[in-house]
Amino acid sequence: MDVSVTLFGGLRHFLPAGSSFNKCSIKIDDGSRLEALLRLLPIPPEKKFIVIINDQKVSREDYAEITINGDDEVVLLPPIKGG
Amino acid sequence: MAWQKQILRVNLTTGSCDIEPLNMEWAEAYLGSRGLGTKYLYEEMDPAADALSAENKIIFATGPLTGTMASTGGRYTVVTKGALTGAIACSNSGGKFGGELKMAGYDLLIIEGVSEKPVYLHIEDDKVELCDASEIWGQTVWATEDLLAAKYRDPLMRFAGIGQAGETLCRYACVVNDKHRAAGRSGVGAVMGSKNLKTIAVRGTKGVRAKDPKAFYKIVNEVNARMTDREEMSRDGTLAMIDVTNGFGSLPTNNNRSVRFEGANKLNPEAMHTPNENGHTNIVTNGACFGCTIGCGRICKIDPTHFSVKDRPEYHGASGGLEYETAYALGSACGVDDIDAATFAGFICNEYGMDPISLGGTIAAAMELYDIGAIDDSVTGGIKVEFGSAEALCQIAELTGKGEGFGADIAMGSKRLCEKYGHPDLSMTVKGQEFAAYDGRSMQGMGLAYATSNRGACHLRADPYGHDFETTDIAGKAQVVAESQRDVAFLDSSGLCLFPGGCGWGLEDYRTLVDAACESDWNAERMTETGERIWVLEKLYNLKAGLGKKDDSLPKRILEEPADVGTGKGLVCRLDEMLPEYYQLNGWDAEGVPTAETLERLNLN
Ligand code: SF4
Repeated sequence: MDVSVTLFGGLRHFLPAGSSFNKCSIKIDDGSRLEALLRLLPIPPEKKFIVIINDQKVSREDYAEITINGDDEVVLLPPIKGG
Repeated sequence: MAWQKQILRVNLTTGSCDIEPLNMEWAEAYLGSRGLGTKYLYEEMDPAADALSAENKIIFATGPLTGTMASTGGRYTVVTKGALTGAIACSNSGGKFGGELKMAGYDLLIIEGVSEKPVYLHIEDDKVELCDASEIWGQTVWATEDLLAAKYRDPLMRFAGIGQAGETLCRYACVVNDKHRAAGRSGVGAVMGSKNLKTIAVRGTKGVRAKDPKAFYKIVNEVNARMTDREEMSRDGTLAMIDVTNGFGSLPTNNNRSVRFEGANKLNPEAMHTPNENGHTNIVTNGACFGCTIGCGRICKIDPTHFSVKDRPEYHGASGGLEYETAYALGSACGVDDIDAATFAGFICNEYGMDPISLGGTIAAAMELYDIGAIDDSVTGGIKVEFGSAEALCQIAELTGKGEGFGADIAMGSKRLCEKYGHPDLSMTVKGQEFAAYDGRSMQGMGLAYATSNRGACHLRADPYGHDFETTDIAGKAQVVAESQRDVAFLDSSGLCLFPGGCGWGLEDYRTLVDAACESDWNAERMTETGERIWVLEKLYNLKAGLGKKDDSLPKRILEEPADVGTGKGLVCRLDEMLPEYYQLNGWDAEGVPTAETLERLNLN
């Protein structure tokens, strides 16, 4: 199935080739976990980010537990400071 | 060293300009800039005096690192009693003015009294004079700078002054330096206007000396090497935040009726970098303040065919463009998704000398008043003040800058405006100052930071960002806010910018620089204690000014109306649960008054 993933701020520079400005569609197997989806994004391991699925913030400990559905809106935010 | 150990005192009533030694005991206890300026103000004026009276003083304060080769070392702070808030005002600015003032030989410039006629201050090192300003009074910030630059013919002369908004005592008039950098918040420009002081022209040739220049040079390079994460800040500026808060659900929209703005993608970095249908690109380049190796400033142009500037070539050039805060205040807060209109309103703020956050926040409140029928066309002079109206935004911005028509109402600020028209709850303010670009429901720590900020609602008095983006659970928020308020007070007092903190620097990097530049030992413990001393002194100033626990609060909307979408959907700000813990962690009593032990610990009694 295809899942829509949005990468905000500087994270957008790690979108797979051919993506739009900050969005991409990632193909994953049905029943895949969030952890597997994140592994498919070429984000360097030192880059920190926050994951939001359907407006709900996901804790890091739950990455391996959460199952992704085809209509999920997955958003990754960099933890930047304000100005 | 690093301090110049001199202050310049200008009395506008008598016309005297005196150079005095800096009180080094105070410099050792309050460092510089925000902290030291506050100490002088606290000691020299009655905090209960009216902000616009002759009793108020206005202090331009540099930090020990201002004018040095440390990256971002160009900052200065304007400290005074705020015309908008009646609280301590300390507005920080970058650009090149601060470094020039320091190089002229002064840590602080203290202005007191009121001039009978409009004047400007001309400083060239030790040569200081008050000059007749009748030719520039009534001019914009930009025209004033052009006229005086032509007169003095020195390309390195720097200016900090007011436009018509300061002259007409707009409550959130700011002090603009270098045409588009500003000591923006709390109405410091109105105080300058009340003193009949139009601008300060400064040229300095003395340089600034660190205690051990060779060791300092080495440390500057070491610390610069740790600024590893600045590319994004150079490319997108603070505007990068708009996608983050919009995605998270903490971007105040339509006067905080919502926390997400549909039109955010028309104001974000992509919109700024992408040519529009006419082939016009908003951003021209980035810009940097004195000695800055980040360069987060946006230098932008308005599409010359846009309604706001059509047939007005004077606005077709490049100038300071949208930062995150302006994109919120002149964009989402008013429901406006027109990047050219928001850029134009931002230009007007710089030209006339107004704080764009307060202007946008006040227009947003007016839009809600108009929406519910509390004001109508008879009040607005026929302007359809509707959420989303780019035309209304641009028209009102200009009227406010000039203090004309409905602009005179908007110049009062959102609190006074909403009170005047019978709906005080619609003012999104703390201590009379308009919110910055974060909603205190989905970002609970920011809610507490706004409520307790000594200068009124502010996003730069604490650093709850990381914790807030991590969780909406309030456990630990009071501690994060209390501790970061001390850290920020110290950093603001150094003469450096806060933004390297988002580009790879930690507190230790700032401390190392201060320690390398200044006499005596600036260890981590002293850094924290100094930050706390500054924070508590600001609090004491406010208590003497008549503010109290009732002012450490938030608008009803944030406390009672749940956020509509996003990660904080269904939440209100749980301020009443966080505030007692925050007071306790600070060593303050249940009314928010520092206890005798706390004052003694900080040498404040
Ligand atoms: S980071 Fe931005 S605001 Fe700070 S000193 Fe540099 S250009 Fe100025």
